[in-house]
Amino acid sequence: MTEMLEAFRMVAAPDVLVAILASAIYGLVVGSLPGLSATMATALLVPVTFYLSPIAAVATIITASAMAIFSGDIPGCLLRIPGTPASAAYTDEAYAMTRKGQAELALGAGLWFSAIGGIVGTLSLVLMAPLLAEMALSFSTFEYFWLAFLGLMCATLVARSSPIKAIASMLLGLLIACIGMENPAGTPRFTFGIPDLLGGVEIIPALVGAFAVSEVIRAMVTPEPPPLPRRKFGSILAGQWRLTKKYQVPMWRGNLIGIIIGVLPGAGADMAAWVSYAMSKKFSKEQEKFGTGHPEGLVEAGASNNASLASGWVPALLFGIPGDTITAIAIGVLYMKGLNPGPTLFTERADSMYALYIIFILANIIMIPLGIAMIRVASLVLRAPRSAVMSVILLLCAVGSFATGNNLFSVILVALFGCLGFVMERNGYPVAAMVLGIVMGSMVEQNFITSLIKSDGDVMPFIERPVSGVLAAMTFGALLWPAGVWVWRRFGGGRLPAAETPR
Amino acid sequence: MQLSDRVTGAVLVVLGGAAAYAGSRLPAVPGQDVGPAAFPMLIGIGLVICGVLIALGIGRSFEVEEAEAELPAGQGARRLGGLRALIPPAMLLFYVLVVDHLGFLPTAAVIVLVMALALGARPRLAVPLAIIAPIFVHLAFYKLLRVPLPAGLLPVPW
Amino acid sequence: MSGISRRSLMGSAAALAATPLARPALAQPRWPNRPVQMICPWAAGGGTDAVLRIIAALLEKEFGQPFNVVNRTGGSGVVGHAAIAQAQPDGYTLGIITSEICMLHWQGLTEITYRNYTPLALMNNDPPGIHVNASAPYKDVKALADAIKASRPGQLKASGTGQGGSWHLALAGWLVAMGLKADHVRWVPSNGAAPAMQDLAAGGLDFTTCSVPEARAMLDAGRTRTLAIMAPERLSVFPNIPTLKEVTGVDYQTGSWRGIAGPAGLPAEVKAAIEPALGKVFQSQEYKDFLNARGFGLVYADAAGFARYMEQADKSLGDAMKAAGLAKA
Repeated sequence: MTEMLEAFRMVAAPDVLVAILASAIYGLVVGSLPGLSATMATALLVPVTFYLSPIAAVATIITASAMAIFSGDIPGCLLRIPGTPASAAYTDEAYAMTRKGQAELALGAGLWFSAIGGIVGTLSLVLMAPLLAEMALSFSTFEYFWLAFLGLMCATLVARSSPIKAIASMLLGLLIACIGMENPAGTPRFTFGIPDLLGGVEIIPALVGAFAVSEVIRAMVTPEPPPLPRRKFGSILAGQWRLTKKYQVPMWRGNLIGIIIGVLPGAGADMAAWVSYAMSKKFSKEQEKFGTGHPEGLVEAGASNNASLASGWVPALLFGIPGDTITAIAIGVLYMKGLNPGPTLFTERADSMYALYIIFILANIIMIPLGIAMIRVASLVLRAPRSAVMSVILLLCAVGSFATGNNLFSVILVALFGCLGFVMERNGYPVAAMVLGIVMGSMVEQNFITSLIKSDGDVMPFIERPVSGVLAAMTFGALLWPAGVWVWRRFGGGRLPAAETPR
Repeated sequence: MQLSDRVTGAVLVVLGGAAAYAGSRLPAVPGQDVGPAAFPMLIGIGLVICGVLIALGIGRSFEVEEAEAELPAGQGARRLGGLRALIPPAMLLFYVLVVDHLGFLPTAAVIVLVMALALGARPRLAVPLAIIAPIFVHLAFYKLLRVPLPAGLLPVPW
Repeated sequence: MSGISRRSLMGSAAALAATPLARPALAQPRWPNRPVQMICPWAAGGGTDAVLRIIAALLEKEFGQPFNVVNRTGGSGVVGHAAIAQAQPDGYTLGIITSEICMLHWQGLTEITYRNYTPLALMNNDPPGIHVNASAPYKDVKALADAIKASRPGQLKASGTGQGGSWHLALAGWLVAMGLKADHVRWVPSNGAAPAMQDLAAGGLDFTTCSVPEARAMLDAGRTRTLAIMAPERLSVFPNIPTLKEVTGVDYQTGSWRGIAGPAGLPAEVKAAIEPALGKVFQSQEYKDFLNARGFGLVYADAAGFARYMEQADKSLGDAMKAAGLAKA
């Protein structure tokens, strides 16, 4: 109990509170600027943390990343340019809502349910950390393979138009993920002799190029769309309570999926958002509304990706195992500040642990007022002339992608992905599926090959192990679902609910 | 650049074939039965299959046939027509080639100016924007985040 | 011009002209007189980045000029290492180089070797440890070594890093030193040490060979045990872990080291200034505390010693790579 009080005292220290506020604003701003992203925001904080006290340093990382994951939804909703790979799962949906004039509902849903997801995730961290850690530890490479594969299949489940094109996009993403020597064999693949490609194609330049630059290119060749009616943004939070009551099940499902996926190292917010959006669509009573501007998917996915952020800290704090790049950076900062992950953190440094929990909850609470302010500011961008907005976005793309690795090659990649993304979208190939393939590609291959090495080439363990078997069944289900539906439609007769809405 | 499904399908087939071929040439690695060639080959074959299906028009949509809610393509294109699409990537390449020599502020100003004008902004919006925006971006990245942006011809006072 | 004779003017002019000749005897602008850039080939927040940041901060205190850390990632370290080697040798771009530089050229991934640098000081070395699951039957590393010798080739599985990484080579070298083939134990590549340790704790591997600080969290949690380290002597932070030599008599040592270097051809003035400064940094309490907190090995060598160290490491890593079939050059 004394540790709790000590923890409150530690958090109430002025430098910590200032750090939380400053990094919250920083995270919100960086996450919402197209061309930048949550991972970049966190990576760029590391030099700053060097000069801060331990609790303040960790507070900045926690707050900035939580804010940035939410604010990545803002440009996705307003400009169709997701700020983070996680937001890419439901960018189209949110943008459709904006075009219907419901931007504040979409953003409000993102904000409200992100905050809920974050708090629920933190509670799971506080109450169930050891249990979740046991579960995480029991996952071996076989289970991870199926999980990654399942994540990939979500690309087909959410495809609005041709699922074949979605699969093709995803395969393209997987192929891009093959570039480099970061494969189990350590063999450079498809590097064409360029040393910068040895480490593979980084996800940030690909995301920035495929979404932001392609959107800029599109702005170049289409006339300016009619300006949205100039009206003041209504209350952001109005209507959220109604949504909460209406979509309770999706919300809790999103929280649960987010917690489970987040806890598994290697599977992070990106995957949580995708899986949750897909599940939301599949289990929804109003499936046909998905894609036309329907908040249900936003509720579930928004809660899921923030919940996964919080639960991703479980393996990080307990075993120093990063759940994703952001937690890897956070672990580095923890070590730097002498808060070594591991059981000592819970026993000898329990007050620091509790301080971290308090910071988590605090960050998710202040997300709401700060998020509202950020949304209002960002909505001004809807009124600014497109020429100004797009020009600055392009500049931010260049600088942002340079900033993470201090490498100009990233800017070239951004340009290439911009062209690729533009061509793909023009021809009906969903870019988000490609991004998913890039994000998940190495996870799939790594776990497949290492599993085979461990089983000496035997494929049976992939199905024999209990959890593996379950995941395998789910994956095949997801894979064959579209084909099954097609067969059913073709040969099953017309008893199906009329999904053909006239356009 | 809207191409027919046949064309994009064919592109996928070629890409998939190239990937599978290039992948098959990768040497195996001692200690691993399934080497680095496996994945590129699998993906390549998958791309070939998808490409064929798309070119043949199979599996367009298992759900609702979506009308493309796209804005009309290229009708507002003024001077250069479709070539305008190349301006953003060209600007990015320009940045890569020139920023270390000219420095960040001039390069950024040029980029913003060209983009704004190409998007139809009046000079009285584009020019001030081209001067102010790079300054803010520089402040944020150089001062706040300590990202080394090259000084070049126009070193900044801070 | 009355009152000032031409002679006195000439005299003053001559005096003024002579002053620059007198300058070398006074203080010239010394290195460093502007900020120094220190390049890190690895990502922010990682171990190498952390070590460089503490060194940079301490150098900044020593010299009064900013020493800015810049991460130049990519290409599994090639980009950053190349950036250091190809920088202007004026002393204003330095960097931290790691043992990978002795491995990359053997794989044919770059032409750059340790000879492309001016070594300034070795600041850290982490030897590999040998870790097993807490419930494994091996009570010490001799028991494990016997089990390895008794096993079929490829029966046992080990991990710790990617294919051809430092810890893979460590295993290969150890096996060869024991008289076995380099691939007698099957290497399962992993994306860094953390996933390998997780797999070890989950029961998916027989042992891992990553460094002790990387295994520390699992060790402290009681999920794994560290049987030995491949080092010449015990680590001060983990005094209970014996060395390989103590327990089995096989004296195989290697490690993942980090040192400060600049491009080849650094001016003598810069070297004369920074080499003792790095020695001071190493001796400082802050550096020691920092490395001890993480469990990194406090190993130091001055410039000449660092050069010899790298030469030796290059050969020994090259041998291990050839034995494991990974060398192309």
